[in-house]
Amino acid sequence: MLKPYILENMEFDKDSLYKLGKLSKIQIDESKLKSLSSDLGSIIEFIDRLKSIDTENVDPTSNSLDQSLVMRDDIASDVNSANEILENAPQKELDFFSVPKVIE
Amino acid sequence: MKRNLNFIEASSLLEANETTSVELTKIYLDNIKEAEELNCFNTITAEQALDDAEKSDLRREQGKLKSQFDGIPIGVKDLFCTKNIKTTASSKILSNFVPSYDSAVTQKCIDAGLISLGKLNCDEFAMGSTNKTSYYGPVTNPWKSNKSDAKLVPGGSSGGSAAAVAADLCIASLGTDTGGSIRQPASFTGTVGLKPTYGRVSRWGIIAFASSLDQAGPITKTVEDAAALFEIIAGHDPKDSTSSIKENESFFDNLNSSVKGMKIGIPREFKSDDLPASTQKAWDDCKKLLQNNDAKLIDISLPHTMDALPTYYIIAPAEASSNLARYDGVKYGIREEGENLIEMYEKTRSVGFGDEVKRRILIGTYVLSSGYYDAYYIKAQKIRSLIKNDFNQAFEKVDAILTPSTPSTAFEIENEPNDPVQTYLNDIFTVPINLAGIPAISIPFANDENNLPIGLQLITNSFEEQKLLNIAKNVQDTVNYESVPKNWWQK
Repeated sequence: MLKPYILENMEFDKDSLYKLGKLSKIQIDESKLKSLSSDLGSIIEFIDRLKSIDTENVDPTSNSLDQSLVMRDDIASDVNSANEILENAPQKELDFFSVPKVIE
Repeated sequence: MKRNLNFIEASSLLEANETTSVELTKIYLDNIKEAEELNCFNTITAEQALDDAEKSDLRREQGKLKSQFDGIPIGVKDLFCTKNIKTTASSKILSNFVPSYDSAVTQKCIDAGLISLGKLNCDEFAMGSTNKTSYYGPVTNPWKSNKSDAKLVPGGSSGGSAAAVAADLCIASLGTDTGGSIRQPASFTGTVGLKPTYGRVSRWGIIAFASSLDQAGPITKTVEDAAALFEIIAGHDPKDSTSSIKENESFFDNLNSSVKGMKIGIPREFKSDDLPASTQKAWDDCKKLLQNNDAKLIDISLPHTMDALPTYYIIAPAEASSNLARYDGVKYGIREEGENLIEMYEKTRSVGFGDEVKRRILIGTYVLSSGYYDAYYIKAQKIRSLIKNDFNQAFEKVDAILTPSTPSTAFEIENEPNDPVQTYLNDIFTVPINLAGIPAISIPFANDENNLPIGLQLITNSFEEQKLLNIAKNVQDTVNYESVPKNWWQK
């Protein structure tokens, strides 16, 4: 396998990792903290190599399709009934998704 | 009946009344049963398939065929929503999800009369190049090295789709390709894998990974089959805002394998001393083959080739972290109860997602977070423009580009590097194509010293799939690669 990228095994700091977990709504498992911070460290180091590339006067590409947004006629169609959609809901009440209480 | 029927052969047999769709479907369901060890399928829809096959046979009797390929059994990556059939993206979080509608692609297959045998295993949310991130366990490559009995990865993320075609568990299959997920497994399994131009095939109803890169395509036994299945699934879809308005084409009928006078670009940045000798030889042999068939080789430069992978590992996780925000235990999928709403979200996502998916969500969140957005995400989008521009300039000089599909052949399931970045290198030759949005195909060319298939990648400019398929057919017909794996999984 090609190994053109030499990495220095930088580690991602613990506090930032917990903060990212909060933002992503993912709990950081204590037992995987070490491996996760080393994995993320490698990946950040890997993507950081782009910083040296000159992108002055370059426009960003958000997608490669050279086409302006296509509009379609606004015609009502009878798909996705509430009943069908709620079939997949983990919890429902009447015609609604139900979640744990939000307001005390 | 002959083993390893392809799409075209199967349709000829059906047309000549030498077999029926029910008979074919039964043969393939038996093949699937015998190959349980390969773990290609997440869900087998035997009853539905036989029912659909019976209807197809009836249509044939009545002369009311939906298409010339009516009645042919295929497999569908478990990333396409299928009405009333469980669709999991090989993730625990969607392990109970049953869509109420069909994706645009699977609907087109139904409209053409194709028979789905079931849902194929893949990396979780299509994130991976080994098929090892699937919640349902890894797929085993039907190929084995002639020097060892170890099980090999089929590649990924469309590992089940590629392995199932190679092991003759279906005649063709549907996959998706975000950074190489059709071409890399095709290369590892000796099959043909086509990633179309971004926008050619509707993304509607495909579980989203990285929306600006995702594209569905066929994995098949031959280039002709790829043309036929591609033609069935391509075309404008008003339900996908990035679907191209370009007319669909008769890719299959218009196949023409001449490469006379064509200019084939060889990008110097893809050359590497680290490339295995057998892969280098296959690449060199293919160059000679094309020259012998009156094509001209041109040395070209794609200066930002080495920047593509880090660019991809900003853009893809960024889009993934946003796309996967919808899995929160509220609308579909599993839920883990918590003391309050936030805790319910966190528990559901922590239990529901696997390690690689979590890694990518965390990285994506990081590069999109306040203070880093410009430095990473916008920067990556700018480099994406440079990569696209490299290809634009190359296609001013050449008709197509030839490279290896992957830097190695299939490796052992147990032998994956610990560092995720080293695993990401599998996609080094395929990722630039997704960033540029252009089409590419991987075709089997030769076997290496361990008797494992080597795939080569052909690339053309946007919407030039016909030219791409034509050149691929020329190579296929000249090299006549006919190797198939030994069916060691059959008891």
